[in-house]
Amino acid sequence: MTDVVATRDPYLRRIWERTLQGTGVKFALVWVGLLVFAAVFAPFLANSMPLIMSKNGQISMPVLHYLSREDVVVLIAFVALIVLWVLPLRLNWRRGLAVFFLVIVAGVIIANQYVNPPKLIIYEDFRSPAYNQVDWKLMPPIPYAPTDYMRDARERGLQTAPLSEPSLQHWMGTEENGAEVFSRMIHASRIALSIGIIATSISMVIGVIIGGIMGYFSGVVDMMGMRLVEIFEAIPTLFLLLTFVAFFGRSLYMMMVIIGVTSWSGYARYIRAEFLKLRKQDYVQAAIASGLPLRSILFRHMLPNGVAPLLVAASFGVASAILAEATLSFLGLGLVDAPSWGQMLDQAVKSGTFNWWMAVFPGGAIFMTVFAYTLIGEAFRDAIDPKTAYRVKRSA
Amino acid sequence: MTNLLEVRDLSTYFTTPEREVKAVDGVSFALNKAETFCLVGESGSGKSITALSVMRLLPARISSHPSGSIWFNGVDLLKQDDEAMRHIRGSQIAMIFQEPMTSLNPVFTIGDQITEALQLHHPEMSNQEVQERTVKALEQVHLPNARGRMRDYPHQLSGGQRQRVMIAMALACDPELLIADEPTTALDVTVQAEILRLMRELQDNTGMSILMITHDFGVVAQMAHQVGVMQYGKLVEQGSTKQVLSQPQHPYTQQLLAAVPENLARRKPTTAQVLNADAKPLIEIHNLSVWFPIKKGLFRRTVDYVKAVDDVSLAIPKGQIMALVGESGCGKTTLGRAILQLEKPTQGSVNVEGQELVGLSDQALRPWRAKMQIVFQDPQSSLNPRLLVETMLTEPMKVHGIGSSHEERLELAARTLEHVQLKREYLWRYPHEFSGGQRQRIGLARALVLNPEFIVCDEITSALDVSVQAEILQLLLDIRSERDLTLLFVTHNIGVVEYLSDQTVVMYKGKIVERGLTEQVCRNPQEPYTQKLLAAVPRLTITAL
Repeated sequence: MTDVVATRDPYLRRIWERTLQGTGVKFALVWVGLLVFAAVFAPFLANSMPLIMSKNGQISMPVLHYLSREDVVVLIAFVALIVLWVLPLRLNWRRGLAVFFLVIVAGVIIANQYVNPPKLIIYEDFRSPAYNQVDWKLMPPIPYAPTDYMRDARERGLQTAPLSEPSLQHWMGTEENGAEVFSRMIHASRIALSIGIIATSISMVIGVIIGGIMGYFSGVVDMMGMRLVEIFEAIPTLFLLLTFVAFFGRSLYMMMVIIGVTSWSGYARYIRAEFLKLRKQDYVQAAIASGLPLRSILFRHMLPNGVAPLLVAASFGVASAILAEATLSFLGLGLVDAPSWGQMLDQAVKSGTFNWWMAVFPGGAIFMTVFAYTLIGEAFRDAIDPKTAYRVKRSA
Repeated sequence: MTNLLEVRDLSTYFTTPEREVKAVDGVSFALNKAETFCLVGESGSGKSITALSVMRLLPARISSHPSGSIWFNGVDLLKQDDEAMRHIRGSQIAMIFQEPMTSLNPVFTIGDQITEALQLHHPEMSNQEVQERTVKALEQVHLPNARGRMRDYPHQLSGGQRQRVMIAMALACDPELLIADEPTTALDVTVQAEILRLMRELQDNTGMSILMITHDFGVVAQMAHQVGVMQYGKLVEQGSTKQVLSQPQHPYTQQLLAAVPENLARRKPTTAQVLNADAKPLIEIHNLSVWFPIKKGLFRRTVDYVKAVDDVSLAIPKGQIMALVGESGCGKTTLGRAILQLEKPTQGSVNVEGQELVGLSDQALRPWRAKMQIVFQDPQSSLNPRLLVETMLTEPMKVHGIGSSHEERLELAARTLEHVQLKREYLWRYPHEFSGGQRQRIGLARALVLNPEFIVCDEITSALDVSVQAEILQLLLDIRSERDLTLLFVTHNIGVVEYLSDQTVVMYKGKIVERGLTEQVCRNPQEPYTQKLLAAVPRLTITAL
């Protein structure tokens, strides 16, 4: 009798199909997909060393030798995600998430243990005979690393400013130090993606727990929780970030945590409102009457029914976290070594002349990413609301 | 006699992107002057759509009338343009709706809402005349102190008074036809009786015709001259009320009438029940009160209490069905929940098998939770839309240690589903795949998996059609006879009480006014409130004509 029909939740699938109905959202998903692709495979897409080369009959992959620990962890995470998605393991989402996090933790440990990239990379080497007098080699599509300033590549050396406009050789031009803009754009997509997703995840976890407890218990707990929410709403994230950067130096992870810890109040409000409503629903009363433990009532019976508006808010949250990082970088308080879109915008303004290619491409990318997340958020909101869902369906 | 309204071969189709729905399919009937025609049917039979088609209130974008004509006073309503219809609506045909809470605009006074319609249809009237006409309309519906109440807002009126205002609004322009769509469904039975009496009286005085939509055969018997029975958009039977109710021809009508609780085969008390009549009580309640504080002001000081349940003492005998009857707001649902400790009692005690439940911690209550279960009224909200039926049934079993393995629990869950006459495969479905009646069965199964001794049935049949209600009631009786179950059946439907229960308790304003064996309470009520309640129940005996 236990012929388990392991269909995915039809409700989720319905929502997903409705979300996909608009044209805008399809475009947005394609853009986010491109970003993910660029972020995961950045070292293979834009780097100065050959992907594969054959020298005296010996085949080697120099790019692997120079992969950083972060590169390896990101690759492991991506592969794990694909495997979990494709393999019909019939894990429920909770167990899937646990496996995913285990893989990432294992990846971090392995990377720290076994991956030892050279501390200093001299990009001139890759243009020396050692890498050029070979039988054959395969270069990445963009053969310049983001921090390769190509001091040797030009005829006049350091005589003239290395800035150059877009050309056939450099599709998006080069910046003031001579590095390739397109290459930096690709590598910067990592920061844009990771800060948005991780900061939002942190604030969602905090918001769901605090908001859920407020909504379920209501009364005094709710009142104290709301005061806490108001306190956090009064903290301006950007100024807190500026202060922390001034005191503790620049770190991407610290930015993620600060944005996450200060922006949970909106999610807590959403979840609280949903839970206040759900608490009176008969099926929650039935769960209480069955003597189910509180954890199960809160997270199994109530959360899935109240989480929808939160997901909508989250997609807007991702966009605003990206903007916060870009703002910080634009103000010159971002990361020093790694390229980021905001920092590139800053460069466009700071150099003596206005270099349009330094402003248009990163600015466009920020605009497109924030726009894409907002579109996804809106489509999702319409899909969840049964009234607008019908309208969307008709017009589609 | 002349026909005021004649509907000929009316069809109303709805076009959705997926398919075409034949909501009304070839319906013909005629309504005489100063008579009442009742359209009866279960939910989804197309009776309301027929009424809305006559009013031309359906959105033209998605609805169409492929055939038919609606003749009203010699004009075909389906051929009128919007402008012409606007003149007919309100002044010649008026409509009242089911939900008195939402059919009045909360930001206007009731006087404003009536005068607006008058000024629209009678621009020649002076302000003075309009005012006088409004007061007259409100007096017609017996609203006390009509002149003073004109400046009241809808929230200051009770449900019955709002429905009276709705009728006054409809009557203000002296319509020839009043369409009433389930006008008393949302009202208490005593208020329903008053409204029905009022409508009959107004019909006698003004000579208007009434097209009434209802699902309640009791109301039909009280109101209708002619009756039409609808099923799947078709009018399967029509005729005079007496003829249809006493000698139904169509099998569907026969089936519907047989399902009315009054007509269900009355069961005989078995010997076991007679012996159990004064059995040891399973649950004893002493001086139980549930008060909800009313908080006001900056510091949310408690200024007063709503006494939902006020000093109630009751003993529920083991193995019996006790009915708890009362009108809305009398505290019957709160009492049921307070027994299960879903509502924290303000004071008093609930004693189950010698164990005091009030004041126990959640942890200490858990073993008792399994013994006492609840089934809810609303089939829409009683099941978690995001969980499989399997999860709903096996999770409580796991928590209470019933069944040693998941497979064993699945088997138990499947057997419980079969017990409530559902298929085993339904374990692997989500709630939205079921009909209302099936959902109530699943709700019942969820209560039964824990092998409880006591179940509170909170209006479990009120949201169901009469034929489904009959099935659920039969099922309850079957389950009761198989297991040694004690039921507290909370309801407002006297017919159900008479059919189902061994004992009856009548509640009014948080207190118990009368209790006793069902036979005695229903046949020979002692208290004036019980007498009033029973007299208000619309019976199938025909009073109109």
